[in-house]
Amino acid sequence: MNPEIRTPTRILVIDDSEPIHALIKARLQPEGLEVFSELDGEAGIERATTDLPDLILLDVDMPELDGFEVCRHLKNTPATRDIPIIFLTGTASTDSKVRGLDMGAIDYVTKPFDQVELRARVRAGLRTKQLQDILEHQSFLDALTGLWNRAYLDRRMEGEINIASRYDRPLGIALVDVDRFKNLNDTYGHLLGDVVLQGIARVMQDSARSSDTVARYGGEEFAILIPQADLDSTAQVAERVRQSIESHSFEVRGSNIGVTVSVGVVCTAEFVGELSPENLLNHADRALYASKDAGRNCTHLNVRGKIRPLEPGES
Amino acid sequence: MAHEPIRSIFENDPDMMEIVRDFAVALPERRRSLQALLEANNLDALQVAAHQLKGAGGGYGFQPITDTAARLEQALREGVDASALKDHCQALCEVLDAVTVSENV
Repeated sequence: MNPEIRTPTRILVIDDSEPIHALIKARLQPEGLEVFSELDGEAGIERATTDLPDLILLDVDMPELDGFEVCRHLKNTPATRDIPIIFLTGTASTDSKVRGLDMGAIDYVTKPFDQVELRARVRAGLRTKQLQDILEHQSFLDALTGLWNRAYLDRRMEGEINIASRYDRPLGIALVDVDRFKNLNDTYGHLLGDVVLQGIARVMQDSARSSDTVARYGGEEFAILIPQADLDSTAQVAERVRQSIESHSFEVRGSNIGVTVSVGVVCTAEFVGELSPENLLNHADRALYASKDAGRNCTHLNVRGKIRPLEPGES
Repeated sequence: MAHEPIRSIFENDPDMMEIVRDFAVALPERRRSLQALLEANNLDALQVAAHQLKGAGGGYGFQPITDTAARLEQALREGVDASALKDHCQALCEVLDAVTVSENV
């Protein structure tokens, strides 16, 4: 999900005519684009799925699997759904252009194509994709804190849980809730409550590892996903975050106030057989509420459904 | 009817020189294939071949290839009689014969 800067930009050509492959390559390579190609629809789908190009130039008229069928398949597959497709059409018929665009293609180029037009349409397609990526990225950010939001956390958790179970690498989750946040809001006002949330977000981000996902889960509740961490390492990260917030002083209206958080921790290693995001978050939530019940500003672990406090010196 | 030599408008484009030459060098083989398909009355394959020449010719700077191949493809699609088909195929072959690339690439 993290937008990666990947150079060079890679273009897949699916066309049953080799001269077209050579031609497109000659026209796009000088633009700094990497071009690779396949001669039929089936091989094209396979290549698109494994190599995930940035854009696909797809011939409409191909024997066996034609361009429309290839397009339908790519658009119905989650991994390839968002790759922009430009149709290469030999016929200038409005019908086939409209059909292609309706199927989710971003544009079309009529063969034989003018090189300036081809380059311009490819550039435009890549630009649109880039903007979509930025929009998608923004829709996963929490506006107040700049952390990832709940929607991103849910999506990321699903991916991390899959990786965790496939490679047998545990995944840790810590839920962090600000103590007596309502009092703080009532005393200092919502604007200053917001400032505190932003400060906590910064401290959490600083004390987490770069591979961890820090998200604002709800109003004053945060979550940290900690990949490749057993229960001990998860507790360590959680405790480091809790202590950093406890020792941090938040400047509010010129005076410094202290804020504490309560934490609940789980690890997938302790919950074999029930690995859904909802389950794990519920388990973490139970540990978190144990921390609240125990007087706040502490960390509890949920180990196979049994809740216990993090012992002093344990992390 | 013999053609004037047909040259690619991209003959001197440094990005294109090499592939234009490769494309032109392969044309006699394509010409033979067109005639073989016509003689064997393999009209589906002939239409695919015409379609591909139509799509590639102009892109390589040989617009006459695209024009004559488009007429052949259209004729095949409409199902014209054998003698008209032969004429369209012949016209395309003559264009392919006339394609010339400079030697100093």
